[in-house]
Amino acid sequence: MIIDAHMHVDDIPALGWKMGADLVVSRLDQAGIDVGWVMTIVDAPEVNSNAIEWLAEAMAEFPGRLEGFARIHPWYGDLSLELLDRAFALGYKGLKFHAVTTIAHPSGEDSLRLIRRAAEHNAPTLFHCGDEPLTTPLTVAFAAAAVPQATIILGHMGAYLHTDEAIEVAERHENIILETSGMPYPHKIAEAVRRIGAERVMFASDGPGCSPKIDLEKIRVAGLSPADELLVMGLNARKLIDGVVK
Amino acid sequence: MSAGSSIDSHVYVGESLYGGGVDADELIARIEAAGVHRAIAVPARPPGYHLGPANDVAAAAQCAYPDQLRCFARVDPNQGDAAVAELERALDTLGLGGLFLHPNEELFRINGPLVRPLMAVARERGIPVIVATGWLAVSEGPQVADLARQFPEVPIVMTNGGQINLSGLGQVDAEIALDTCPNLTVQTAGTYREDFIEGCVRRFGAERVLYASSCPVMEPRLEVKRVQWAPNLSDAEKQLMLGANAERILWR
Repeated sequence: MIIDAHMHVDDIPALGWKMGADLVVSRLDQAGIDVGWVMTIVDAPEVNSNAIEWLAEAMAEFPGRLEGFARIHPWYGDLSLELLDRAFALGYKGLKFHAVTTIAHPSGEDSLRLIRRAAEHNAPTLFHCGDEPLTTPLTVAFAAAAVPQATIILGHMGAYLHTDEAIEVAERHENIILETSGMPYPHKIAEAVRRIGAERVMFASDGPGCSPKIDLEKIRVAGLSPADELLVMGLNARKLIDGVVK
Repeated sequence: MSAGSSIDSHVYVGESLYGGGVDADELIARIEAAGVHRAIAVPARPPGYHLGPANDVAAAAQCAYPDQLRCFARVDPNQGDAAVAELERALDTLGLGGLFLHPNEELFRINGPLVRPLMAVARERGIPVIVATGWLAVSEGPQVADLARQFPEVPIVMTNGGQINLSGLGQVDAEIALDTCPNLTVQTAGTYREDFIEGCVRRFGAERVLYASSCPVMEPRLEVKRVQWAPNLSDAEKQLMLGANAERILWR
């Protein structure tokens, strides 16, 4: 089974980004991928106060193909927690933070209490982890250290300029998993597998704007062993959300 | 398109201060592994810091592979008159075909006064310029566009889709740069979102987008797929991107 652990379903006219669930599934099909983890671009309740339900309805059109991650703005107090609980009740499998849009520090108390709540559901928290302030590996690692019972996924594994740092923080924090989307260096995937183990590296594409087919090719070009490739391409992701409780 | 007509429009040759550098033989092997036959090569920043010897290495690579490599001169604008002299030596004595500027590795602002004497040489000689683009504070899209407006006669190629950001924060600025500066083109290496590349082709024409791998920093076997596998580009558009544009703009 191949799982794409980071994709988006949303409609953002201001950005010209129209990414319906049907487009996501067609991109999965083109790449031979079984399942995609999807999240919105907006951080509920901002921009679209109904985003959690909206995405759930979009996913329902493609049973078995899409799993939801709730992208939530942590600054809305109890409403943020209620949105996360609502998401898990609807069958979501994890929490997503993108500090470029929320400007919420990963280790701020508002963020940490949502991460703790996700961990109570045995669900991971996926961070955008790139080159911008508030998103770099060391910054996200503060959250990993503060909530050691949580599984923290570094989406993009540090992007263009923080890839080495992402591998280093994953070595320091066993609750960190690296996710490969967008990051353009296949050899860094091989290095990550060598240094932290294939069980803690996950394939993703950040599709549908990014090509799942090309990001999957990145895993193949990395030259992993067949057993490690199976883990990275889907087994790790499957295991990670199999134990999520509503 | 045949392998002989394809061109990787930006690769690095020579030992690198940052590790991972490749000589001409290894470079040719890597681009050919991606099914590409020719490349525009620029010197890597050498361990010895001095770019003159690195330009010599590039010239030797071009001599060793005259049918497969065209090499550009790399100079440091911070060196002032010495940089101009080195550019002229590289063009006149070494036979290099263009200018490469890396504002992040040499530490200068691409639209600042240090660059203008070099751009004046480029304008006078009619050579193209490749700019390592997307680097914070030194070669952001609007800064490269500002340079392009100062020297509208000089063809300027932006690396990395004109942006280095995995949130897409640099995309609109890169698009504005292309929209407002007809002398600007953009490369595909490592670009965030394949639909950005396709969008550039739709808005500005396939003539403005060039395949590049930035090898060995990035991997040609993967990078070439960004163009080859683009689902919404025609064969004719891909042919331009994979070689014809570089042939027209950069192959001197």
